[in-house]
Amino acid sequence: LNKLPLFAAVIGLVVPAAAIAGIWYYGSPKFTDVGYRPIQPVPYSHKLHAGELGLDCRYCHASVEISSVANIPPTQACMNCHRLVKRDSEKLALIRDSAATGSPMRWIRVHKLPDYAYFTHRAHVAAGIGCVTCHGRIDTMEVVTQMQPLSMSWCLDCHRNPAPFRRPVSEVTNMKWTAPKDAAALSAKLAAQNPVNPPVFCSGCHR
Amino acid sequence: MNETYWRSLGELEDSPSFRANLEREFPEGASELPEGVSRREMLMLLGASLSLAGLASCRRPVEKIVPYVTAPEEIVPGVPLRYATTMPFGRSAYGLVVESHEGRPTKIEGNELHPTTSGRSNVRMQGAILGLYDPDRAQHVRHGDKDATWAEFVAAWAELEKKHLEDGGASLALLSPSFASPTRARLLQEFKGRFPKARIAIYEPVSDENVLAATALVDAGTSSHPVLHVENASVIVALDADILGNDPEDVRQIAGFAVGRRAAIDGKPMNRLWAVEAAYSLTGAMADHRLRLQSRQIPAVVAALATRVLGGAGGVDVPGVEAKWLDAVAKDLKDNRGRGLIVAGPGQPDAVHAAVLALNAALGNVGTTVTYHESANAALPRRASLNDLVSAMNAGTVTTLVILGGNPVYDASADLEFAAAMKKVANAIVLATHVDETAKLAGWSIPSAHFLESWDDAAAVDGTLSVVQPLIVPLFGGKGATELLGLLATGKDQSGHDLVRQTWKPILGEAAFEKRWNRVLHDGLLAGSATAPVTPNIDRQASSKLAAGTANGIEVHFRPSPYLHDGRFANDGWLQELPDPVTKLTWDNPALLSPATAKSLGVADEDLVTVTVRGVSLTLPVTVMPGQADGTVMLTLGYGRKDAGRVGSAVGADAYAVRCSAAPDVDTATLVKAAGSVKLSPTQEHGSMEGRPLIREGSLEEYKHDPAFAQEAVELPKLESMWNEKTYDTGHQWAMTIDLNSCVGCNACVVACQSENNIPVVGKEQVRRGREMHWVRVDRYFEGAPEQPRMIFQPVPCMQCENAPCEQVCPVAATVHDDEGLNVMVYNRCIGTRYCSNNCPYKVRRFNFFNYTKDTPELLKLVQNPDVTVRSRGVMEKCTYCTQRINAAKLDARLAGRPLVDGDVKTACQQACPASAIAFGDLRDPSSNVVKTKADPRNYALLAELNSKPRTTYLAKVRNPHPDLAVS
Repeated sequence: LNKLPLFAAVIGLVVPAAAIAGIWYYGSPKFTDVGYRPIQPVPYSHKLHAGELGLDCRYCHASVEISSVANIPPTQACMNCHRLVKRDSEKLALIRDSAATGSPMRWIRVHKLPDYAYFTHRAHVAAGIGCVTCHGRIDTMEVVTQMQPLSMSWCLDCHRNPAPFRRPVSEVTNMKWTAPKDAAALSAKLAAQNPVNPPVFCSGCHR
Repeated sequence: MNETYWRSLGELEDSPSFRANLEREFPEGASELPEGVSRREMLMLLGASLSLAGLASCRRPVEKIVPYVTAPEEIVPGVPLRYATTMPFGRSAYGLVVESHEGRPTKIEGNELHPTTSGRSNVRMQGAILGLYDPDRAQHVRHGDKDATWAEFVAAWAELEKKHLEDGGASLALLSPSFASPTRARLLQEFKGRFPKARIAIYEPVSDENVLAATALVDAGTSSHPVLHVENASVIVALDADILGNDPEDVRQIAGFAVGRRAAIDGKPMNRLWAVEAAYSLTGAMADHRLRLQSRQIPAVVAALATRVLGGAGGVDVPGVEAKWLDAVAKDLKDNRGRGLIVAGPGQPDAVHAAVLALNAALGNVGTTVTYHESANAALPRRASLNDLVSAMNAGTVTTLVILGGNPVYDASADLEFAAAMKKVANAIVLATHVDETAKLAGWSIPSAHFLESWDDAAAVDGTLSVVQPLIVPLFGGKGATELLGLLATGKDQSGHDLVRQTWKPILGEAAFEKRWNRVLHDGLLAGSATAPVTPNIDRQASSKLAAGTANGIEVHFRPSPYLHDGRFANDGWLQELPDPVTKLTWDNPALLSPATAKSLGVADEDLVTVTVRGVSLTLPVTVMPGQADGTVMLTLGYGRKDAGRVGSAVGADAYAVRCSAAPDVDTATLVKAAGSVKLSPTQEHGSMEGRPLIREGSLEEYKHDPAFAQEAVELPKLESMWNEKTYDTGHQWAMTIDLNSCVGCNACVVACQSENNIPVVGKEQVRRGREMHWVRVDRYFEGAPEQPRMIFQPVPCMQCENAPCEQVCPVAATVHDDEGLNVMVYNRCIGTRYCSNNCPYKVRRFNFFNYTKDTPELLKLVQNPDVTVRSRGVMEKCTYCTQRINAAKLDARLAGRPLVDGDVKTACQQACPASAIAFGDLRDPSSNVVKTKADPRNYALLAELNSKPRTTYLAKVRNPHPDLAVS
């Protein structure tokens, strides 16, 4: 019995299917990007600062409400406290050097969108999208990790139906906020007070 | 509406080569690689790299974020700042508002408060931002062949100064371009006080000194200069004067002219423009009646008009001009006393200007349509002062020469042999933007700071004072002319900031100085500082002193390039690639000849011709220009630079070579056909209208009789779509109208768009292949016989069709519609099939045949708008209605908690347009300007019969011919 045709048929189906599935899964941002966790030059702990000490996100990321970028703080912002606190910590040597020499810090970008996507923080904060929605529980992270795929389909999931992801603007930086029991009522209230109409067409984000 | 419009002589004749070219979507060889030299040339041009820093892993490249160490208080990353400043241009001052991203100026707009610009701009202003980042700018102080420092120069000057102070500066000379600046005027006075015997020359290769001389002749002493108030004029007579094009005050004058054009639409009297000129200009194109006439016959025209208007004995006839024509002009002027305006061009002799002044005064126009202002704070150009200086240099009486800007080795008249004279000067000190022709011969050359890098001040033509405020520290440690002049005048090295503040202390008063100074910096001008008009003395007999011109030989004209001016902007790629408004040529300056003159010489387009003026010859290609006066040749200055930089060197021919100091504006030449030809790169023949009525115009009579004449020009079939059409009845719906009645064809929109949207420069060879990238083009049409046709302009951006033909053929949905009616281009999806361009009836899509931005010098990347994607090879692109501005304005309004109102979004072209010809806004906002203009009965769509439903529509042009000449 010649098994070759069957063999060929199986191979011909399985191999392309496996290739497609492989690329589908392993090539997607869910696999390639989620969990990205680079080691930063200074082991800054969000868990300590934002979690235990309870600093507001906007102390450092000061322009998040008014600019497209949230802003990585200048060395000066670190030194505001560390001039007095942990003055001799070895971990802070690079920060002190930067402040002394004037040469800037070089942090490694964690959350990266492609250059042709023009994301803006200020619109999302104004719409009441919490920091935690895209960045995860930063206040529990010793090392910042990418939690969401930041892919276009992931963006569109929310743009098509923003209601479940919204919260009062006052709670945007609250890492521990949870939706009240009557989430539908809150959604309706937010939609009435602050209606949003997120773009789902190309020019909303691509220019 | 039975006129035949044509775009070029080739089309009019329907020549086989024109046909062959036209029927290709892209010209022959368009998809082939450029070879050899041209490839290298292309790479030298500007562009930007998208290369990522190494693919260390397949996972993702590591990207660094570099924050500030100490954050500047006023800068928020991602939020642009805008500062008011001023661009000095000769004795004009352009009030600007400049956008800066994290300390990097990226876009120039006009300042709405400033009288010269009132929020609008011109080509020079838009192009200036690229000049800031020109990587070929002079980068070091140089002493001979060696790099030096400013401090070394200051020390060297201190030595030189001692010697010159001893004899009052008898062997010291200063050569400066013309300027109007309180600080520089003050320092020049101090310089004169310190070195009373020093020789001072003020030289401009493109000079309006004849205009000034007309008032000085009778005034003896101070000179006053005219300021035109075109908006007050019902009748404008332009005699060899391109008031709407090649004029430092073009923005103000175009704006004023557009007011008078639009008056007809509001039911008020419409202005009428008469033009008499040798070569076609934008003013001639806008004229209701244009007469082509050799420049040397203009005095006769003025005399004939004077006789008709003022009476008395004088010339009545002008050879070759119908008496009826002159009668009509004179009648029109007399019918509109106090509302007429006669202007003569700067190339006309003093006597013509004196006679024009007398005519204007007699008609009561002085004080209404033209006012005279004293040239306080100004150094007025005088070519004779350069002649004297050169004589002194040759005689060896000048040992130290300081050149405060300008490029006399290149742009002084050839017979002066400035370079040879300069070599005889022991110490030549040159302030120059580039290591140019002059700086190369200098003992000391000092890099000149860009106006966006230095402190200075300026006085506008009406006297309005403003401060030149830097937005960035000098990139190459350059020094402003003020700082160098300050060193010469005071012996002390002072910063421009200190010098300017010293000048402004008495102007603003010591009390509350800081507060007022900050107000001036904030507003960009000192409010209320315009000077009161003066009454010029008038020589009422001036018209009888007009000398008749001699009519022997071919008349040669020297005009400044409309973009490169005298050559100072030659290294600006945007301006080099911008099609000339009239000839539509890029990257070259051929000799322009009328069809009959060309025929008599046996030359055609691109053939070489040798022009000989007073024994000196120049060989350059020919372009046959319909509508030019027979027996004239027009040469354009500013090209043929030897040391302009990578972009501007060896482009075109140097017309200064045949310019003689005895007759720098108009001279006599002999022309002979030369062997060979040169390929030129015009943009106009890329497409044809195939007899379709794209341009619609009518006379004022027709308009009054039937305001909707334009809509009735085409009988539309019943327009039905093949599928269910999308409705656009929610949110904002963006649309544009372009008023052909106001548009003068100046091209400011094209450069503004280039600057806003990171549009690359592709080079001469690429333009010839039809690959220019401008998102908006200004089409030029002729109508009538090639000897004396009329000219009409039509700006064509993407029409943003609702039923977009491009979208229907894209196989990858890279061009689709958004909910706000924009036809959007998704670069990342585009695979470069070019089907969309093929199917676009308006031919507004541009394809990146190469990665034009790949080898951009790092410095040039700084000019790019961070809000717009830089496109790479193989990607289609086109006008987006400035979608980045729409998005930003929507967000700004939302965050401010207010609805978006009309005027919040301005496209780059709309903002720049000096004529306010472009209206843009939301179709669903009934109060918006665009809704009002769409309701105008003149509104029509291009190719409406295709049912593409373009969002961009046009308002038909209305002409206002004189009733006595209506038939002609």
